[in-house]
Amino acid sequence: MPALRNLTLGRYVPTASVVHGLDPRTKLLASIGLMVSVLATPNLPVLGLYFGFLAVSTRASRLPAAMLLRNLQAFTWLFLFTIIMHALMTPGTVLLAFPWWNLTVTREGAHGGLFYGLRLAAVIVTASLLTLTTAPLELTGGLERLLGPLRRIGVPAHDLALMITIALRFIPVLIDEAERLRKAQLARGADFGGGPLRRARQMIPLLAPLFISAFDRADRLALAMESRCYRGGEGRTSYHELRFRRHDLLAALIATMIGLGITIVPRLLHR
Amino acid sequence: MAPISMPTNPGRCAEIALAVALAVVLGLFRIPLPHLLYGGSISLDAVPIMLVALHRGSATGTLAGITYGMVNFMIRPIIVHPVQLVLDYPVAYGLLGGGCGLLHVRSIRWKTLAPWRRQLILITGLLVGNGLRLTSHWVSGVVFFADYAPPGQPVWLYSLLYNASYIIPQIVIHIILSQFMIRILIVRHGNQGEG
Repeated sequence: MPALRNLTLGRYVPTASVVHGLDPRTKLLASIGLMVSVLATPNLPVLGLYFGFLAVSTRASRLPAAMLLRNLQAFTWLFLFTIIMHALMTPGTVLLAFPWWNLTVTREGAHGGLFYGLRLAAVIVTASLLTLTTAPLELTGGLERLLGPLRRIGVPAHDLALMITIALRFIPVLIDEAERLRKAQLARGADFGGGPLRRARQMIPLLAPLFISAFDRADRLALAMESRCYRGGEGRTSYHELRFRRHDLLAALIATMIGLGITIVPRLLHR
Repeated sequence: MAPISMPTNPGRCAEIALAVALAVVLGLFRIPLPHLLYGGSISLDAVPIMLVALHRGSATGTLAGITYGMVNFMIRPIIVHPVQLVLDYPVAYGLLGGGCGLLHVRSIRWKTLAPWRRQLILITGLLVGNGLRLTSHWVSGVVFFADYAPPGQPVWLYSLLYNASYIIPQIVIHIILSQFMIRILIVRHGNQGEG
């Protein structure tokens, strides 16, 4: 079990970049739109152009490219699966044969593996750019505003944002508490090693006080909110008001053009 | 079942928020599974969400699950497909909370129920919730593999094998912890009546 104190939560890396300064709604919608567009990308050269756009966006975010590449490492198994499956399962001109295992790698399969592997990487990097440049609280504010119109059909947008904000605020507190309890148990000779079942059982002495303390905090917090007459989101203002500014409009236009450019334009040209 | 959207109830909001924070903290304690080649692991992050669902019912359980899904997306984003983003985060955990909460009966007094009935209710809740969660992850995997695997592959089977490989051990661990969960529920009911 790792020491929890040094763990960083979330992937947000603060820098004073243009991308960091964009409205979270712009970034959220642009990222989702671009991810959908990438999935509809027809061929490798167009995907190459999209990687050019990602390189420019990374530069504009003032994030080291190595950080984005490190993020991709977590998906190694998925890349291998995609590339190997395509290389071995697609029929076509044989490039390599493994007669002992009755397997062949085809030219079409190798091309497909490369294309789908790169497409997967493009989706992951697009999503990483969103989470690396947007703080969780900004993202929460953006989600609240985006879900706002759905309040009419019963979606509790404000409650959701409030709960996410409280949860994010209390995570470090509970991490400290868990660390304190872990050390206390270790001092009493607890051993958190062993197989999965043993580990789960040995976590009970840690879990019980953690649960009781968390729910106690919840009761005290509810009492504090009630005693201050907290009544939800109607008419409430925010310390950080979100504003859709000129550079948000520009970013949205660029994202729309890129999205359409990598999906519709190549198809129109091939007609 | 009460509607998900109710006027803001500070007690409910605070309980969900703290349960979500606790779920994130428990998610940091990963238990590696030796049989998974890709280095998969499980955690006890679903336990607080299931407890809130069993304590307050399906609507609150769903809301707790959706909130956890969103926080999890912000803290540990693993995004490979836009549909997967929705199905693996808010929908999967929302279904976990909603499914588990179906076993909440307002008149339940955990203290007064016979031990075997408590255990039965809790384990059924765990199975329903985790089953629904597995379904969401499974559909998400089918969508993902359908886009990335070559045509003609049994994508539903790949997705089922991959997702079951960590959800089933997780259910086993939840069942092992069921006595502990009952004790926590008794304490909560004792403190709050019926919540």
